[in-house]
Amino acid sequence: MTFVLQNIVDAISLGALYALTALGIGLIFGIMRLINFAHGELIMLGAYALFFTFGMHEAIMGLVAMALVIVAAIVMERVAFRPLRRANPATLLIASFALAYFLQHLVLLIFGARPKSVTFLYELSEYFVVEGLRIPKLQVVTIAITIVLLVGLVVFFRRSSIGTQMRAAAEDFGMARLVGVRANSVIAIAFLLSGVLAGIISLLYVVQTGTLTPRMGVSLVLVAFVATVIGGMGSLVGAAVGGLVVGVLTVALQAVLTVELRPYRDAFVFAVLIGFLLVRPQGLLRGRSARERI
Amino acid sequence: MLATEELSVTYGNILALGGVSLRIEEREIVSVIGPNGAGKSSLLNAIAGVVPVASGSIEFEGQTIAGTAPEELVRLGISLVPEGRHIFGGLTVAENIRIGAVARRDRNAIDGDVERVLAMFPVLRERLRQPAGKLSGGEQQMLAIGRALLARPRLLLIDEPSLGLAPLVVSEVYRAIADLRAEGVTILIVEQSATRALEAADRTYVLASGSIVMAGDAAELRAEEGFEDAYFGYKARDP
Repeated sequence: MTFVLQNIVDAISLGALYALTALGIGLIFGIMRLINFAHGELIMLGAYALFFTFGMHEAIMGLVAMALVIVAAIVMERVAFRPLRRANPATLLIASFALAYFLQHLVLLIFGARPKSVTFLYELSEYFVVEGLRIPKLQVVTIAITIVLLVGLVVFFRRSSIGTQMRAAAEDFGMARLVGVRANSVIAIAFLLSGVLAGIISLLYVVQTGTLTPRMGVSLVLVAFVATVIGGMGSLVGAAVGGLVVGVLTVALQAVLTVELRPYRDAFVFAVLIGFLLVRPQGLLRGRSARERI
Repeated sequence: MLATEELSVTYGNILALGGVSLRIEEREIVSVIGPNGAGKSSLLNAIAGVVPVASGSIEFEGQTIAGTAPEELVRLGISLVPEGRHIFGGLTVAENIRIGAVARRDRNAIDGDVERVLAMFPVLRERLRQPAGKLSGGEQQMLAIGRALLARPRLLLIDEPSLGLAPLVVSEVYRAIADLRAEGVTILIVEQSATRALEAADRTYVLASGSIVMAGDAAELRAEEGFEDAYFGYKARDP
Protein backbone atom coordinates (compact mmCIF):
# COMPACT_ATOMS: atom_id res chain seq x y z
CA MET A 1 0.00 0.00 0.00
CA THR A 2 2.76 2.41 0.98
CA PHE A 3 4.60 1.47 -2.20
CA VAL A 4 1.55 2.32 -4.32
CA LEU A 5 0.87 5.63 -2.55
CA GLN A 6 4.54 6.58 -2.78
CA ASN A 7 4.45 5.98 -6.52
CA ILE A 8 1.23 7.94 -6.92
CA VAL A 9 2.77 10.97 -5.23
CA ASP A 10 5.90 10.59 -7.38
CA ALA A 11 3.78 10.28 -10.50
CA ILE A 12 1.69 13.37 -9.75
CA SER A 13 4.67 15.56 -8.94
CA LEU A 14 6.61 14.45 -12.03
CA GLY A 15 3.45 14.84 -14.06
CA ALA A 16 3.03 18.35 -12.66
CA LEU A 17 6.54 19.29 -13.77
CA TYR A 18 5.88 17.93 -17.26
CA ALA A 19 2.48 19.63 -17.34
CA LEU A 20 4.05 23.03 -16.62
CA THR A 21 6.65 22.50 -19.35
CA ALA A 22 4.00 21.29 -21.78
CA LEU A 23 1.85 24.34 -20.99
CA GLY A 24 4.71 26.66 -21.89
CA ILE A 25 5.05 24.93 -25.25
CA GLY A 26 1.30 24.63 -25.82
CA LEU A 27 0.76 28.32 -25.11
CA ILE A 28 3.11 29.40 -27.90
CA PHE A 29 1.87 26.73 -30.29
CA GLY A 30 -1.74 27.82 -29.75
CA ILE A 31 -1.03 31.42 -30.67
CA MET A 32 1.49 31.10 -33.48
CA ARG A 33 1.74 27.44 -34.55
CA LEU A 34 5.33 27.39 -33.38
CA ILE A 35 6.67 24.38 -31.51
CA ASN A 36 9.33 26.22 -29.56
CA PHE A 37 12.09 23.73 -28.90
CA ALA A 38 14.16 26.55 -27.43
CA HIS A 39 11.76 26.52 -24.47
CA GLY A 40 14.11 24.01 -22.82
CA GLU A 41 16.99 26.48 -23.14
CA LEU A 42 14.93 29.04 -21.22
CA ILE A 43 14.80 26.51 -18.40
CA MET A 44 18.55 25.90 -18.77
CA LEU A 45 19.30 29.65 -18.67
CA GLY A 46 17.35 29.98 -15.42
CA ALA A 47 19.36 27.16 -13.89
CA TYR A 48 22.66 28.78 -14.87
CA ALA A 49 21.42 32.08 -13.46
CA LEU A 50 21.05 30.29 -10.12
CA PHE A 51 24.59 28.95 -10.50
CA PHE A 52 25.90 32.41 -11.38
CA THR A 53 24.22 34.13 -8.44
CA PHE A 54 25.07 31.33 -5.99
CA GLY A 55 26.08 32.73 -2.63
CA MET A 56 23.59 35.58 -2.69
CA HIS A 57 20.39 35.47 -0.68
CA GLU A 58 18.19 32.67 -2.05
CA ALA A 59 15.28 35.05 -2.68
CA ILE A 60 17.56 37.18 -4.84
CA MET A 61 18.85 34.08 -6.68
CA GLY A 62 15.27 33.07 -7.44
CA LEU A 63 14.21 36.52 -8.54
CA VAL A 64 17.24 37.02 -10.79
CA ALA A 65 16.69 33.62 -12.41
CA MET A 66 12.98 34.30 -12.99
CA ALA A 67 13.68 37.76 -14.38
CA LEU A 68 16.39 36.48 -16.71
CA VAL A 69 14.18 33.70 -18.10
CA ILE A 70 11.24 36.04 -18.67
CA VAL A 71 13.43 38.64 -20.39
CA ALA A 72 15.07 35.89 -22.48
CA ALA A 73 11.64 34.63 -23.57
CA ILE A 74 10.53 38.11 -24.65
CA VAL A 75 13.83 38.86 -26.43
CA MET A 76 13.61 35.45 -28.14
CA GLU A 77 10.27 36.37 -29.67
CA ARG A 78 11.35 39.86 -30.62
CA VAL A 79 14.68 38.92 -32.23
CA ALA A 80 14.18 35.41 -33.60
CA PHE A 81 10.49 34.79 -34.19
CA ARG A 82 8.92 38.16 -34.98
CA PRO A 83 10.84 38.56 -38.25
CA LEU A 84 9.57 35.10 -39.25
CA ARG A 85 5.95 35.69 -38.29
CA ARG A 86 4.69 35.22 -41.83
CA ALA A 87 6.91 32.22 -42.49
CA ASN A 88 5.44 28.73 -42.56
CA PRO A 89 5.44 26.55 -39.42
CA ALA A 90 8.37 24.42 -40.66
CA THR A 91 10.60 27.49 -40.90
CA LEU A 92 9.59 28.56 -37.40
CA LEU A 93 10.33 25.08 -36.08
CA ILE A 94 13.82 25.07 -37.61
CA ALA A 95 14.45 28.56 -36.25
CA SER A 96 13.58 27.30 -32.78
CA PHE A 97 16.11 24.44 -33.17
CA ALA A 98 18.77 26.92 -34.30
CA LEU A 99 18.02 29.13 -31.33
CA ALA A 100 18.17 26.15 -28.95
CA TYR A 101 21.64 25.14 -30.24
CA PHE A 102 22.82 28.74 -30.15
CA LEU A 103 21.85 29.15 -26.50
CA GLN A 104 23.36 25.79 -25.55
CA HIS A 105 26.67 26.72 -27.13
CA LEU A 106 26.60 30.20 -25.69
CA VAL A 107 26.36 28.70 -22.22
CA LEU A 108 28.99 26.11 -23.16
CA LEU A 109 31.33 28.92 -24.17
CA ILE A 110 30.80 30.84 -20.94
CA PHE A 111 30.57 28.05 -18.37
CA GLY A 112 32.17 25.07 -20.10
CA ALA A 113 30.83 21.60 -20.79
CA ARG A 114 31.40 20.06 -17.36
CA PRO A 115 28.28 19.71 -15.27
CA LYS A 116 27.89 22.33 -12.57
CA SER A 117 26.16 21.81 -9.29
CA VAL A 118 24.29 24.31 -7.21
CA THR A 119 22.42 24.02 -3.94
CA PHE A 120 19.20 25.96 -3.89
CA LEU A 121 16.41 25.82 -1.29
CA TYR A 122 18.00 22.78 0.33
CA GLU A 123 15.29 22.56 2.94
CA LEU A 124 12.86 21.43 0.20
CA SER A 125 14.81 18.17 -0.11
CA GLU A 126 13.63 17.18 3.35
CA TYR A 127 10.76 14.77 3.78
CA PHE A 128 7.37 14.80 5.39
CA VAL A 129 6.83 11.41 6.95
CA VAL A 130 3.15 10.46 7.09
CA GLU A 131 2.12 6.93 8.08
CA GLY A 132 5.36 5.44 6.80
CA LEU A 133 5.10 7.46 3.58
CA ARG A 134 8.12 9.63 2.82
CA ILE A 135 7.03 12.64 0.80
CA PRO A 136 9.73 15.12 -0.21
CA LYS A 137 8.67 18.69 0.55
CA LEU A 138 9.66 19.54 -3.01
CA GLN A 139 6.95 17.27 -4.40
CA VAL A 140 4.32 18.95 -2.27
CA VAL A 141 5.58 22.37 -3.37
CA THR A 142 5.67 21.30 -7.02
CA ILE A 143 2.10 20.04 -6.92
CA ALA A 144 0.87 23.14 -5.06
CA ILE A 145 2.61 25.54 -7.47
CA THR A 146 1.21 23.65 -10.45
CA ILE A 147 -2.33 23.84 -9.10
CA VAL A 148 -2.00 27.57 -8.39
CA LEU A 149 -0.58 28.22 -11.87
CA LEU A 150 -3.27 26.15 -13.60
CA VAL A 151 -6.08 27.91 -11.74
CA GLY A 152 -4.39 31.26 -12.38
CA LEU A 153 -4.11 30.55 -16.11
CA VAL A 154 -7.74 29.45 -16.35
CA VAL A 155 -8.91 32.62 -14.59
CA PHE A 156 -6.61 34.71 -16.79
CA PHE A 157 -7.91 33.17 -20.04
CA ARG A 158 -11.58 33.20 -19.00
CA ARG A 159 -11.89 36.50 -17.17
CA SER A 160 -9.36 39.01 -18.43
CA SER A 161 -9.73 40.96 -21.64
CA ILE A 162 -6.23 40.09 -22.85
CA GLY A 163 -6.91 36.42 -22.02
CA THR A 164 -10.03 36.46 -24.18
CA GLN A 165 -8.04 38.15 -26.93
CA MET A 166 -5.46 35.38 -26.72
CA ARG A 167 -8.11 32.68 -26.99
CA ALA A 168 -9.57 34.46 -30.02
CA ALA A 169 -6.10 34.79 -31.58
CA ALA A 170 -5.39 31.11 -30.95
CA GLU A 171 -8.57 30.21 -32.78
CA ASP A 172 -8.36 32.55 -35.74
CA PHE A 173 -5.43 34.93 -35.75
CA GLY A 174 -6.45 36.76 -38.91
CA MET A 175 -9.93 37.49 -37.61
CA ALA A 176 -8.60 38.52 -34.21
CA ARG A 177 -6.50 41.19 -35.93
CA LEU A 178 -9.55 42.31 -37.90
CA VAL A 179 -11.43 43.07 -34.69
CA GLY A 180 -8.45 45.03 -33.42
CA VAL A 181 -6.42 42.53 -31.41
CA ARG A 182 -2.79 43.64 -31.68
CA ALA A 183 -0.72 40.72 -32.98
CA ASN A 184 2.48 41.93 -31.33
CA SER A 185 0.83 42.30 -27.93
CA VAL A 186 -0.79 38.87 -27.71
CA ILE A 187 2.34 37.11 -28.96
CA ALA A 188 4.59 39.05 -26.58
CA ILE A 189 2.30 38.19 -23.67
CA ALA A 190 2.24 34.53 -24.68
CA PHE A 191 6.05 34.50 -24.57
CA LEU A 192 6.05 36.34 -21.27
CA LEU A 193 3.77 33.68 -19.79
CA SER A 194 5.88 30.88 -21.24
CA GLY A 195 8.89 32.61 -19.64
CA VAL A 196 7.17 32.65 -16.25
CA LEU A 197 6.42 28.92 -16.57
CA ALA A 198 9.97 28.12 -17.74
CA GLY A 199 11.46 30.16 -14.88
CA ILE A 200 9.44 28.31 -12.26
CA ILE A 201 10.49 24.97 -13.77
CA SER A 202 14.13 26.12 -13.61
CA LEU A 203 13.83 26.65 -9.90
CA LEU A 204 12.00 23.38 -9.22
CA TYR A 205 14.38 21.42 -11.43
CA VAL A 206 17.50 22.79 -9.78
CA VAL A 207 16.12 22.09 -6.32
CA GLN A 208 15.47 18.54 -7.41
CA THR A 209 18.64 17.62 -9.29
CA GLY A 210 21.15 20.28 -8.29
CA THR A 211 23.09 19.44 -11.47
CA LEU A 212 23.22 21.58 -14.58
CA THR A 213 24.56 21.03 -18.08
CA PRO A 214 24.07 23.12 -21.21
CA ARG A 215 21.83 20.38 -22.63
CA MET A 216 19.68 19.88 -19.56
CA GLY A 217 16.59 21.42 -21.16
CA VAL A 218 16.55 19.14 -24.20
CA SER A 219 15.09 15.98 -22.70
CA LEU A 220 12.59 17.91 -20.62
CA VAL A 221 11.25 19.70 -23.68
CA LEU A 222 11.15 16.50 -25.68
CA VAL A 223 9.03 14.86 -23.01
CA ALA A 224 6.83 17.96 -22.76
CA PHE A 225 6.41 17.94 -26.53
CA VAL A 226 5.25 14.32 -26.29
CA ALA A 227 2.82 15.49 -23.62
CA THR A 228 1.34 18.22 -25.82
CA VAL A 229 0.92 15.73 -28.67
CA ILE A 230 -0.81 13.23 -26.39
CA GLY A 231 -2.97 15.98 -24.92
CA GLY A 232 -3.85 17.41 -28.32
CA MET A 233 -1.85 20.15 -30.01
CA GLY A 234 -3.42 23.53 -29.46
CA SER A 235 -5.41 22.67 -26.36
CA LEU A 236 -3.99 24.07 -23.13
CA VAL A 237 -6.06 21.76 -20.96
CA GLY A 238 -4.83 18.97 -23.21
CA ALA A 239 -1.20 20.00 -22.62
CA ALA A 240 -1.67 19.91 -18.86
CA VAL A 241 -3.47 16.56 -18.99
CA GLY A 242 -0.86 15.18 -21.39
CA GLY A 243 1.94 16.23 -19.02
CA LEU A 244 0.26 14.46 -16.16
CA VAL A 245 -0.30 11.34 -18.28
CA VAL A 246 3.36 11.18 -19.34
CA GLY A 247 4.48 11.68 -15.72
CA VAL A 248 2.23 8.92 -14.49
CA LEU A 249 3.30 6.66 -17.35
CA THR A 250 6.99 7.26 -16.62
CA VAL A 251 6.67 6.50 -12.91
CA ALA A 252 4.45 3.49 -13.59
CA LEU A 253 7.00 2.05 -16.02
CA GLN A 254 9.76 2.72 -13.52
CA ALA A 255 7.83 0.70 -10.94
CA VAL A 256 6.74 -2.10 -13.24
CA LEU A 257 9.80 -2.68 -15.42
CA THR A 258 12.43 -5.14 -14.30
CA VAL A 259 15.80 -3.76 -13.23
CA GLU A 260 17.43 -4.77 -16.53
CA LEU A 261 14.76 -2.93 -18.55
CA ARG A 262 14.65 0.27 -16.47
CA PRO A 263 17.44 2.05 -18.38
CA TYR A 264 15.20 1.78 -21.45
CA ARG A 265 12.20 3.31 -19.70
CA ASP A 266 12.04 6.32 -22.02
CA ALA A 267 12.01 4.02 -25.05
CA PHE A 268 8.86 2.49 -23.62
CA VAL A 269 7.38 5.95 -23.07
CA PHE A 270 8.00 6.84 -26.70
CA ALA A 271 6.67 3.46 -27.86
CA VAL A 272 3.44 4.23 -26.05
CA LEU A 273 3.39 7.62 -27.77
CA ILE A 274 3.77 6.03 -31.20
CA GLY A 275 1.01 3.57 -30.41
CA PHE A 276 -1.17 6.38 -29.15
CA LEU A 277 -0.62 8.43 -32.30
CA LEU A 278 -1.68 5.50 -34.45
CA VAL A 279 -4.95 5.18 -32.57
CA ARG A 280 -5.74 8.82 -31.87
CA PRO A 281 -3.57 11.21 -33.91
CA GLN A 282 -5.55 14.28 -32.83
CA GLY A 283 -4.67 13.73 -29.15
CA LEU A 284 -6.92 13.39 -26.14
CA LEU A 285 -8.43 16.83 -26.60
CA ARG A 286 -8.40 18.45 -29.98
CA GLY A 287 -7.69 22.17 -29.79
CA ARG A 288 -9.62 24.61 -31.93
CA SER A 289 -6.32 26.13 -32.92
CA ALA A 290 -5.03 22.87 -34.37
CA ARG A 291 -6.11 24.15 -37.76
CA GLU A 292 -3.92 25.88 -40.30
CA ARG A 293 -2.46 29.26 -39.49
CA ILE A 294 -3.76 32.21 -41.49
CA MET B 1 -14.72 59.04 -47.42
CA LEU B 2 -12.95 56.15 -49.14
CA ALA B 3 -11.25 56.27 -52.53
CA THR B 4 -9.16 53.67 -54.29
CA GLU B 5 -7.00 54.63 -57.23
CA GLU B 6 -5.88 51.98 -59.74
CA LEU B 7 -5.83 49.42 -56.93
CA SER B 8 -4.25 46.08 -57.85
CA VAL B 9 -3.88 42.87 -55.86
CA THR B 10 -1.84 39.87 -56.93
CA TYR B 11 -1.34 36.39 -55.48
CA GLY B 12 1.98 35.19 -56.86
CA ASN B 13 1.59 35.57 -60.61
CA ILE B 14 -2.17 35.69 -60.52
CA LEU B 15 -3.80 39.08 -60.89
CA ALA B 16 -6.87 39.16 -58.64
CA LEU B 17 -7.64 42.86 -58.94
CA GLY B 18 -6.32 44.92 -61.84
CA GLY B 19 -6.53 48.66 -61.35
CA VAL B 20 -9.80 49.34 -59.58
CA SER B 21 -10.79 52.94 -58.86
CA LEU B 22 -13.89 53.54 -56.79
CA ARG B 23 -15.10 56.07 -54.27
CA ILE B 24 -17.59 55.97 -51.44
CA GLU B 25 -19.08 59.10 -49.90
CA GLU B 26 -20.00 59.45 -46.27
CA ARG B 27 -23.30 57.75 -45.29
CA GLU B 28 -23.57 55.94 -48.59
CA ILE B 29 -24.31 52.27 -49.05
CA VAL B 30 -22.31 50.99 -52.00
CA SER B 31 -22.36 47.45 -53.31
CA VAL B 32 -19.94 45.59 -55.53
CA ILE B 33 -21.37 42.67 -57.45
CA GLY B 34 -19.84 40.22 -59.85
CA PRO B 35 -19.36 36.54 -60.50
CA ASN B 36 -17.25 34.17 -58.47
CA GLY B 37 -13.57 35.00 -58.86
CA ALA B 38 -14.17 38.57 -60.04
CA GLY B 39 -11.95 39.95 -57.27
CA LYS B 40 -14.68 41.16 -54.91
CA SER B 41 -13.19 39.66 -51.76
CA SER B 42 -9.70 40.76 -52.79
CA LEU B 43 -11.00 44.32 -53.00
CA LEU B 44 -12.43 44.24 -49.46
CA ASN B 45 -9.42 42.40 -48.07
CA ALA B 46 -7.06 44.97 -49.58
CA ILE B 47 -9.04 47.84 -48.06
CA ALA B 48 -9.10 46.10 -44.67
CA GLY B 49 -5.35 45.44 -44.77
CA VAL B 50 -5.66 41.65 -44.92
CA VAL B 51 -3.91 41.25 -48.27
CA PRO B 52 -1.06 43.47 -49.47
CA VAL B 53 -1.66 46.03 -52.20
CA ALA B 54 0.43 45.31 -55.31
CA SER B 55 0.02 48.80 -56.77
CA GLY B 56 -2.33 51.77 -56.61
CA SER B 57 -3.54 53.62 -53.55
CA ILE B 58 -6.28 53.60 -50.93
CA GLU B 59 -7.33 56.80 -49.18
CA PHE B 60 -9.59 56.90 -46.16
CA GLU B 61 -10.71 60.34 -44.99
CA GLY B 62 -7.82 61.91 -46.84
CA GLN B 63 -5.20 59.59 -45.33
CA THR B 64 -3.26 56.98 -47.32
CA ILE B 65 -3.93 53.61 -45.69
CA ALA B 66 -2.45 51.00 -48.05
CA GLY B 67 -0.01 48.85 -46.09
CA THR B 68 -1.58 49.58 -42.69
CA ALA B 69 -2.15 46.53 -40.45
CA PRO B 70 -5.78 45.43 -39.97
CA GLU B 71 -5.66 46.01 -36.20
CA GLU B 72 -4.67 49.64 -36.81
CA LEU B 73 -7.32 50.16 -39.52
CA VAL B 74 -9.98 49.18 -36.97
CA ARG B 75 -8.69 52.03 -34.83
CA LEU B 76 -9.08 54.40 -37.79
CA GLY B 77 -12.71 53.32 -38.20
CA ILE B 78 -12.72 50.54 -40.82
CA SER B 79 -14.22 47.15 -39.91
CA LEU B 80 -14.55 44.08 -42.10
CA VAL B 81 -17.15 41.33 -41.76
CA PRO B 82 -15.34 38.66 -43.77
CA GLU B 83 -16.80 36.03 -46.02
CA GLY B 84 -17.67 32.95 -43.97
CA ARG B 85 -18.23 35.17 -40.86
CA HIS B 86 -15.19 33.86 -38.95
CA ILE B 87 -16.83 34.02 -35.55
CA PHE B 88 -14.75 32.63 -32.68
CA GLY B 89 -16.49 29.29 -32.18
CA GLY B 90 -14.91 28.50 -28.82
CA LEU B 91 -15.81 31.85 -27.28
CA THR B 92 -19.29 32.53 -25.99
CA VAL B 93 -21.67 34.74 -27.95
CA ALA B 94 -21.20 37.49 -25.35
CA GLU B 95 -17.40 37.25 -25.62
CA ASN B 96 -17.62 37.39 -29.41
CA ILE B 97 -19.64 40.60 -29.25
CA ARG B 98 -17.43 42.24 -26.65
CA ILE B 99 -14.17 41.38 -28.34
CA GLY B 100 -15.32 43.68 -31.13
CA ALA B 101 -14.63 46.56 -28.76
CA VAL B 102 -10.97 45.76 -27.95
CA ALA B 103 -9.71 48.68 -29.99
CA ARG B 104 -11.90 51.24 -28.21
CA ARG B 105 -10.89 53.61 -25.45
CA ASP B 106 -14.38 54.75 -24.36
CA ARG B 107 -14.96 51.82 -21.99
CA ASN B 108 -18.16 53.30 -20.52
CA ALA B 109 -20.05 53.37 -23.79
CA ILE B 110 -19.47 49.69 -24.60
CA ASP B 111 -22.33 48.27 -22.50
CA GLY B 112 -24.78 50.55 -24.29
CA ASP B 113 -23.48 49.40 -27.67
CA VAL B 114 -23.82 45.74 -26.68
CA GLU B 115 -27.45 46.49 -25.80
CA ARG B 116 -28.02 48.10 -29.20
CA VAL B 117 -26.60 45.07 -31.00
CA LEU B 118 -28.83 42.76 -28.93
CA ALA B 119 -31.84 44.95 -29.70
CA MET B 120 -30.98 44.70 -33.39
CA PHE B 121 -30.52 40.91 -33.25
CA PRO B 122 -32.76 39.67 -30.39
CA VAL B 123 -31.99 36.00 -31.13
CA LEU B 124 -28.43 36.55 -29.88
CA ARG B 125 -29.68 37.65 -26.47
CA GLU B 126 -31.09 34.21 -25.72
CA ARG B 127 -27.73 32.60 -26.44
CA LEU B 128 -25.25 34.95 -24.78
CA ARG B 129 -23.65 32.24 -22.63
CA GLN B 130 -23.44 29.59 -25.35
CA PRO B 131 -20.34 28.87 -27.44
CA ALA B 132 -20.73 30.80 -30.68
CA GLY B 133 -19.84 27.68 -32.66
CA LYS B 134 -23.27 26.27 -31.83
CA LEU B 135 -25.14 29.08 -33.61
CA SER B 136 -26.84 28.57 -36.98
CA GLY B 137 -25.36 30.19 -40.08
CA GLY B 138 -27.77 33.10 -39.96
CA GLU B 139 -27.15 33.72 -36.28
CA GLN B 140 -23.40 33.60 -36.92
CA GLN B 141 -23.78 36.22 -39.65
CA MET B 142 -25.71 38.46 -37.24
CA LEU B 143 -23.06 37.87 -34.59
CA ALA B 144 -20.28 38.73 -37.05
CA ILE B 145 -22.02 42.01 -37.96
CA GLY B 146 -22.74 42.76 -34.31
CA ARG B 147 -19.11 42.12 -33.40
CA ALA B 148 -17.95 44.50 -36.12
CA LEU B 149 -20.39 47.18 -34.92
CA LEU B 150 -18.87 47.09 -31.44
CA ALA B 151 -15.81 48.78 -32.93
CA ARG B 152 -18.10 51.70 -33.88
CA PRO B 153 -16.82 51.68 -37.45
CA ARG B 154 -17.40 54.64 -39.68
CA LEU B 155 -16.87 52.40 -42.70
CA LEU B 156 -18.24 48.86 -42.53
CA LEU B 157 -17.11 46.36 -45.17
CA ILE B 158 -19.34 43.28 -45.52
CA ASP B 159 -18.31 40.32 -47.65
CA GLU B 160 -21.12 38.10 -49.01
CA PRO B 161 -23.58 38.53 -46.13
CA SER B 162 -26.16 36.31 -47.83
CA LEU B 163 -23.83 33.40 -48.60
CA GLY B 164 -25.33 30.10 -47.50
CA LEU B 165 -28.33 31.64 -45.74
CA ALA B 166 -32.04 30.92 -46.21
CA PRO B 167 -33.94 33.74 -48.01
CA LEU B 168 -35.86 34.77 -44.88
CA VAL B 169 -32.63 35.08 -42.93
CA VAL B 170 -31.06 37.08 -45.76
CA SER B 171 -33.98 39.52 -45.53
CA GLU B 172 -33.33 39.89 -41.82
CA VAL B 173 -29.64 40.58 -42.38
CA TYR B 174 -30.42 43.19 -45.04
CA ARG B 175 -33.00 44.83 -42.79
CA ALA B 176 -30.24 45.24 -40.21
CA ILE B 177 -27.96 46.74 -42.86
CA ALA B 178 -30.69 49.25 -43.77
CA ASP B 179 -31.02 50.17 -40.07
CA LEU B 180 -27.30 50.86 -39.91
CA ARG B 181 -27.59 53.44 -42.62
CA ALA B 182 -30.04 55.32 -40.42
CA GLU B 183 -27.32 55.42 -37.77
CA GLY B 184 -24.89 57.04 -40.15
CA VAL B 185 -22.59 54.12 -40.89
CA THR B 186 -21.08 54.07 -44.36
CA ILE B 187 -21.25 50.58 -45.84
CA LEU B 188 -19.55 48.71 -48.67
CA ILE B 189 -21.17 45.34 -49.44
CA VAL B 190 -19.80 42.70 -51.75
CA GLU B 191 -22.30 40.18 -53.10
CA GLN B 192 -22.63 37.52 -55.71
CA SER B 193 -26.42 37.64 -55.61
CA ALA B 194 -27.11 40.86 -57.50
CA THR B 195 -30.74 41.59 -56.68
CA ARG B 196 -30.34 42.12 -52.95
CA ALA B 197 -27.17 44.09 -53.36
CA LEU B 198 -28.76 46.35 -55.99
CA GLU B 199 -31.83 47.01 -53.85
CA ALA B 200 -29.91 47.75 -50.68
CA ALA B 201 -27.35 50.09 -52.18
CA ASP B 202 -27.33 53.69 -53.32
CA ARG B 203 -24.81 52.82 -55.99
CA THR B 204 -23.37 49.60 -57.34
CA TYR B 205 -20.17 48.68 -59.11
CA VAL B 206 -20.04 45.59 -61.31
CA LEU B 207 -16.72 43.78 -61.11
CA ALA B 208 -15.60 41.14 -63.60
CA SER B 209 -12.14 39.56 -63.95
CA GLY B 210 -10.61 42.09 -61.59
CA SER B 211 -11.91 45.24 -63.25
CA ILE B 212 -14.94 47.50 -62.88
CA VAL B 213 -17.08 47.09 -65.96
CA MET B 214 -20.15 49.11 -64.98
CA ALA B 215 -21.25 51.50 -62.27
CA GLY B 216 -24.43 53.31 -61.33
CA ASP B 217 -27.56 53.08 -59.23
CA ALA B 218 -29.92 50.14 -59.38
CA ALA B 219 -32.23 51.71 -61.94
CA GLU B 220 -29.40 52.75 -64.23
CA LEU B 221 -27.76 49.35 -64.14
CA ARG B 222 -30.99 47.50 -64.81
CA ALA B 223 -31.58 49.77 -67.79
CA GLU B 224 -28.20 48.93 -69.27
CA GLU B 225 -28.49 46.71 -72.27
CA GLY B 226 -28.16 43.05 -71.27
CA PHE B 227 -26.66 43.91 -67.85
CA GLU B 228 -27.39 40.62 -66.20
CA ASP B 229 -26.78 38.29 -69.10
CA ALA B 230 -23.55 39.91 -70.15
CA TYR B 231 -21.75 39.70 -66.85
CA PHE B 232 -23.29 36.78 -65.09
CA GLY B 233 -24.24 34.45 -67.89
CA TYR B 234 -27.57 34.03 -66.17
CA LYS B 235 -30.43 36.13 -64.82
CA ALA B 236 -29.38 37.35 -61.40
CA ARG B 237 -31.93 36.43 -58.80
CA ASP B 238 -32.35 35.87 -55.12
CA PRO B 239 -30.31 33.01 -53.69
